[in-house]
Amino acid sequence: MVAILAIAGLSLYLLLRQEVTDEINEQLELQAALIVEELNAGRTINFPLASAMEVPVSFSARKKLGDTLIYDRLQRKNEGYYYLSLTRKVKHRNYKIIVMTSYIGWQRYYQTIFFSFSAVALGITLIGVLLNYYSNHNLWKPFFLNLENLKRFSVSSPLPLQWHDSSVTEFEELQQSLKELTERSRREYLALREFTENASHELQTPLGIIQSKLDRMSQLDVDEEMAQYIVQAKSGVERLTKMNKNLLLLAKLDNDAFAEKQPLNLKELLENHLEQMSDLFEARNITLSVDASPLTIITDCYLCDVLLSNLLSNALRYTPSPGEVSVSLNHNQLIIGNPGQALDFPEQRLFSRFTKGGSHLQGTGLGLAIVRQICLLNGWIASYAYQGGVHYFTITFS
Amino acid sequence: MKLLLIEDEPMLLDEMEAYLIEQGYRCEKATTFAAGEDKIVLYDYDVIILDISLPGGNGLQLLQLLKKQQKEAGVLIVSAKDSLPDKLTGLNLGADDYMTKPFHLEELNARVNALVRRKSFKGNSQIQVDDLTIDPVAKTVSCNETFIPLTKKEFELLLYFIVNKNRVVSKQSIAEHLWGDHYDIVDNFDTVYVHTMNLRKKIVAHTGIDYIKTVYGMGYKFTSA
Repeated sequence: MVAILAIAGLSLYLLLRQEVTDEINEQLELQAALIVEELNAGRTINFPLASAMEVPVSFSARKKLGDTLIYDRLQRKNEGYYYLSLTRKVKHRNYKIIVMTSYIGWQRYYQTIFFSFSAVALGITLIGVLLNYYSNHNLWKPFFLNLENLKRFSVSSPLPLQWHDSSVTEFEELQQSLKELTERSRREYLALREFTENASHELQTPLGIIQSKLDRMSQLDVDEEMAQYIVQAKSGVERLTKMNKNLLLLAKLDNDAFAEKQPLNLKELLENHLEQMSDLFEARNITLSVDASPLTIITDCYLCDVLLSNLLSNALRYTPSPGEVSVSLNHNQLIIGNPGQALDFPEQRLFSRFTKGGSHLQGTGLGLAIVRQICLLNGWIASYAYQGGVHYFTITFS
Repeated sequence: MKLLLIEDEPMLLDEMEAYLIEQGYRCEKATTFAAGEDKIVLYDYDVIILDISLPGGNGLQLLQLLKKQQKEAGVLIVSAKDSLPDKLTGLNLGADDYMTKPFHLEELNARVNALVRRKSFKGNSQIQVDDLTIDPVAKTVSCNETFIPLTKKEFELLLYFIVNKNRVVSKQSIAEHLWGDHYDIVDNFDTVYVHTMNLRKKIVAHTGIDYIKTVYGMGYKFTSA
């Protein structure tokens, strides 16, 4: 814009200069011609700013166009003048004729153009900004708000998106399609989630029946073979129960049903867990090295409980006996390290559902998925590293 | 001791009733919201075991009704929902305890027992088994005035056995009772074994009687006449 104006200004200046110079030249030529005519007629020269001087015949100056400064007594300063000097032969006598005319300094032209164009540029810019502001505000605002909304959209969010109406037809159409799209995906997601949760709930009661009947069977006087079958069936039910509970928890985590956050003394909770589990570790000949510094976080207590028990259960299960598990809590990280063989599956799948090492089929394969989900919900980062034969699980609290 | 069981699943209800009757309680049953409502209004109970999802209404409403009637009964909620908000709502409404299905009957019995003890003796009850005296409040066990030094876990285990005496208690049930059901301890039943053996040795050393029997791979049984 400014560049266009600058170019326009410059070319105007140059054109104008060309035009004016040509005009002055023509005028001076005309004046000179008039003087020659007067000389031919034998009249004295009486033109303002003109002179004719007789010069020897041998003197022959070239026609010359130039400018000069002449002192103006009225204004008491030097003024710029254009002059044309030439020699002409009139009646065998040689005259040197000089005609002059004043001109407004190019500097002034230049300044005038510069200032007027600057004013135009400023005006245009100002109007442009105002127009932009207005159109942004009124035409684009709903669009950007909707875009922002869409970026934050998650099918699992508890409320449907709030759309901002626009007066532009295209935006209106776009908004309508997006509205339908998001609402459809939300509905489908909700149906799926409801199904998972209901299915898990509905499973609880039949599981309860199986478990109580198996308990009842174990009260009877059965032989050793029968007893074994009962124990195996029980262990299957147990796993199913645990898995079902974990699936329910995951469904609820997806549901974001845990909004009750409060300050929690993580060090205390961690120590409680370690105390509770100490004999479990002891029984497997695993020593615990604990280094915990005080840390208070804002979170849901129940979920934090689950997070710690899942991580510690994981360490308990996968540490070969005898071994040492290290637990450290610093100002923003919880690190649990347990020795063990390298993973026999890709590392990226570690926090996925139903991923478990080939040699450990007892787990539900949901523990670490729950850990990741809890971290996601709290804005924490769960990471894993394998260094020197030790698996490190790190939770970084934000 | 009179119990009211409100639960809509008949097979589970029968199992609960059978075991609680075995333990010496008198039990009445209700399988719908309306039936439960009638019984609560008409009779007094020591403990009410209450399912939340019932045909015809929500168990929590029965709980509110109960509190409005200023009945003294202890309330134990059994729910298929393992959710903290539900649990908190239940407890805030005046329930004494909350269990999630599926549960072990021994655990149910232990909770009912603890509730009865809390309600009827204001916690000052001692349990006597032959020469053994168990104080659930002070968490001590003595045999003829001599204290038997038990760890916290061993004490809880003993109490669990005694409350469920003459019944085969599975390792799963013990593990869940001692460590809660958060931990994946399916492959850690060795720990149950270790605790049980230690407890057994200590009891035998003081009383000369081996109360705790191993039942094949199924679990343990505390027997006393």
